[in-house]
Amino acid sequence: MESVPIRMDRRWLNHFITHMEQDNGWTTWDRFQLAVEAAQAEIVPEFDTLQCLKVLHGFSPLPHQVDTARRVLGEMRGRAILADEVGLGKTIEAGLILKEYMIRGLVKKVLILVPSSLVLQWTRELNQKFRIPAMAQKKAWMWDQYDVLVASIDTAKRDPHRTAVLSTHYDMLIVDEAHKLKNRRTKNWQFVNEIQKKYSLLLTATPMQNDLHELYNLVTLLKPGQLGQQNSFSTNYVAGKRKPKNEAQLREEVMRVMIRNRRSDGHVHFTKRNVITVPITLSPEERALYDGVTTFVRDSYRRGEGNLKTLLSLIILQREVCSSRDAAFLTLFKLFKKGAAGQETLSPKVQHLVELLRRVKEQSKVKEAVRLVQEIGEKVILFTEYRATQDLLLRALAEKNIYAVPYRGGFARNKKDWMMELFQKRAQVMVATEAGGEGINLQFCHHIINFDLPWNPMRVEQRIGRVHRFGQENDVTIYNFATENTIEEHILWLLHEKINMFRTVIGDLETILGQIEQQEEMEKSLMRIMLEADDDQEIRRRLSDLGDQFQDAHQEVANTPQQEWLRDGTHPN
Amino acid sequence: MELIQIKEFAERYLTAYGCHILEKNPDFLQARLSVEADKDLVHRPFYWMYVEKMGLEPNPTILTFVFEPDKAPEGARAEHLAYGTPRFSQMLRSAQKNGRFIRLYEEPRTQFRSAGNSHGYEPWLAVNYKISSICDRKKDEILHLGIHLRTGDIREQFYEELLNRRWTPKLPAHRHTVSHAFTIPEAVGELEYFLQGYIEHQDLSWADSAMERLEQELEQIHSFYPEEWRMSDELHAEKKQRIREAVWQYHPRVEVEVVNAGLFYMNP
Repeated sequence: MESVPIRMDRRWLNHFITHMEQDNGWTTWDRFQLAVEAAQAEIVPEFDTLQCLKVLHGFSPLPHQVDTARRVLGEMRGRAILADEVGLGKTIEAGLILKEYMIRGLVKKVLILVPSSLVLQWTRELNQKFRIPAMAQKKAWMWDQYDVLVASIDTAKRDPHRTAVLSTHYDMLIVDEAHKLKNRRTKNWQFVNEIQKKYSLLLTATPMQNDLHELYNLVTLLKPGQLGQQNSFSTNYVAGKRKPKNEAQLREEVMRVMIRNRRSDGHVHFTKRNVITVPITLSPEERALYDGVTTFVRDSYRRGEGNLKTLLSLIILQREVCSSRDAAFLTLFKLFKKGAAGQETLSPKVQHLVELLRRVKEQSKVKEAVRLVQEIGEKVILFTEYRATQDLLLRALAEKNIYAVPYRGGFARNKKDWMMELFQKRAQVMVATEAGGEGINLQFCHHIINFDLPWNPMRVEQRIGRVHRFGQENDVTIYNFATENTIEEHILWLLHEKINMFRTVIGDLETILGQIEQQEEMEKSLMRIMLEADDDQEIRRRLSDLGDQFQDAHQEVANTPQQEWLRDGTHPN
Repeated sequence: MELIQIKEFAERYLTAYGCHILEKNPDFLQARLSVEADKDLVHRPFYWMYVEKMGLEPNPTILTFVFEPDKAPEGARAEHLAYGTPRFSQMLRSAQKNGRFIRLYEEPRTQFRSAGNSHGYEPWLAVNYKISSICDRKKDEILHLGIHLRTGDIREQFYEELLNRRWTPKLPAHRHTVSHAFTIPEAVGELEYFLQGYIEHQDLSWADSAMERLEQELEQIHSFYPEEWRMSDELHAEKKQRIREAVWQYHPRVEVEVVNAGLFYMNP
C-alpha cells in the first residue's frame, strides 16, 4: 500500500499552550515518568500475540481453547461460529477472544445474548475468570450505562430494549446457544441480524441438527454470501435434508467461519463413570397397585377402549407408579374426575385402583433413596421426572435432617441460581426435576441418583452431563433405581445394557436419535411397545430390536464420511 | 509487566501521588491514599461529592496490596495487585491522566554555579507519541521524539537522554532561556511531518492485506444481495449495514496519540 490514512491527535496542543501561557498546571518529573511507563505497559507491540493469557485469574485455559482463540483472532478476524461439543469450554474460548480485543482497545461496547438461565453465570465467569466488568442487564436504562452487558435474548428482542439495542453500535456481539438462530423466519434470527456489530461470535454445540439450511442461516448471520445465495446454496451443496453434496468445497467454506472441537479429539480428560444398579423390591401393597394399573392398561387396550392418546397416558400412570405413589395419585385423580364428569357412574375399575393406592403406606424407593444418600455422605444430585416425587423426597430427606434443595424448570432465573449456590455451599442434596435447561454446572458433585428414568436418551445424557463434564475431577458414580419386575426394569435394561448410555459418552447422540426417530420419537416408540406387547418376553424382544437399531445408527453415524467434517471441524483431512 | 516491576511501579505511584505508606515488606504494601489517589483508584464519586459539599474532613481509603495471591498476610484484607486487575488498570490510567505536561530546567553543572554572568539553555520540546496501526487487528508503538526549538533538529529516543540528567521545575539562579525560533505549533508540525515519513516507511503489508480482505468481503456482499431494483427497503438497509460493518471491521489506518509532552531546557 502506497500510504495509509493517518490520524494525528492534536487535542493536547491547546492544553499545552495554555499551561505555557499561564505558567502553571505542570506535572512533576516523577509523574511524567510514571505516565510514560504506564503507557509502555499498556501497549501491545505485535498483531498476533495473545495478551489475554497474562491476565487470567486462577485457571489456565486448555490448549485447544487457546488455539481456537488464536484462529478466531487471526484467520477468522473476529467473526466465527464456536461449535465445540458440549463441555469443551466454548465460554472460555469466547472469553479469551473478547478479553484480547478489549486489551488491545479494539472492543469496548459488548453485548452478550444468552438464554435467561445463563445470564448470571456468564456475568460471573467474565468477571471472575477474565476480569471483564460485565453486568447482567436488568433495567432498560442500563443499555447506555454499561459497556459490557449480558442479556436474555428474549428480553432484548422486545421493546423498549429492542430499540435501545438496535440503535447501538456493538464492537462485539456474542450469542450463546445460537442453535436458536437456525430459522431465518424467526424473531430471534431477524433481531440478531439487525444488530450493528463489528465482531461476532455464535456459540452452539449443534450447528446442524436437522437440516443443512440451518447451518446456512447461522453462517449468513456472520457473513452473508459466505455460502452463496440461498438458491445457489441449495443447488450447489444440498443433496438431501442432511446430505451435502460438493462436500469438500462446502467444508472449506464452512470451516472459514466455524471451529468445532470434539471430545474424542482428546482435548479434555474425562474422569470415569461408575454405574450401579439399585434394585428395589416393591412392598406387597405397592405391587398390588402396580399390577392393578398394568392390568387396567392391558385390558383397556385389548378391548380397544379409548383412543391412543388416553392409552398412552395410562402408560404414564404405570411409570408414575414406579416413581412414587404421590406421582401416580395426580394422574389417577384426573382419570377419576373424567369418569365422574363424562359417565353416569364412576368406572369401578378406576375406583378399585384408587382403593389400591390408598393402601400403599410405605414407599420402598423413597426409603432406599434416603438410606443411600446417608451412606454416600457426600453431595448427591437426585433426579426425578415428577414434581410430586420431588416434594415427597424433599420431605423424606428433611425428616432425617438432611439438607436438600429443590430445582426445577419453572423456577425464576434468580431462584435457580440461588439453589445452585446453596447446593454448592450448604446443602448435601439437590432434588431436580429438570436436567435440560442449559447452564446447570454441578461438577463439584460426583454422585447422581436416577430415582426414575426419562425415556428419552437425550435427557438421560443431559442429566449425567451436568456432573460428568469439563472441570469434574472425580470419577462419577451413577446410581440407577430399578423396581423389579416393572417396565422401569425394561427401560433400564435397554438404556444400560443395550445402548450402554451410562458407562460411556455417546458422541453425537442427537444425530443418532435423529436417524432412528424419523418416524416417531423414541419415547413414543417405547410407550407403544409397552402398550402393544402381550408379555414381558415380547417387550424384551421389541426393546432389543430398538437397541439394535440404535447401535446400527451409531455405527452409521460414526462411519459416514459425509458427516465427518461437520463433526470434526479442526482436522480438514 | 513482571511482578517486580508491578511492585516498583505501585510504590513509586503511591509516593508520587502523596500517599502515606504505612507498611511495606517483600510480600505486601499498605498505604493510606491521598485524596487525589483515592479519587482515581477507588470509585466512590458520591462520597467525594458529599464530603466536599458538607465541608467534612475526608477519610481516604487504606489499601493493602499483595503481589502474589498466596502470600496474603493473615487477618488483613489484602488485594492482589497484578497486571490486568482493575486496580492496577486504574493506577495506569491515573498515571497517564496526571503526568501529561511538564516544563523542566536541567540542574546547572558545578562550573556554572560560581560564574558571574548568566548562561543560556538549549530549548527542547519532547513529545512521546503512541502510534497505533489498526485494522481488524491492532499493534502499538511508542516513539519518544524531541525537537530543538531553535534549530529544528529532531531526535529519536529523546526520552532516554532526558533520563540521564537531573531536573528542577524552577529556573535556577544565573540562568536564562532564549527565545524560540519555532513556536510550539510549528514544532509540532515538524514532528508530525517526521512521523508521517516514519510511518510510511514502515512495513505496511498489514494494511494491504486488510484492504484486500475488505474488498473480498465487499465483493461477497455485492454478489449475495440481488440487484438494487429487486431489493425491498429492508433488504436494502440490511445490505448497507453489512457494508458499513465490513468497513468498520477492516479499514486500515494509523492513529497517533500523545502520551505526554514537555519543554526541557538543557545545558549546552
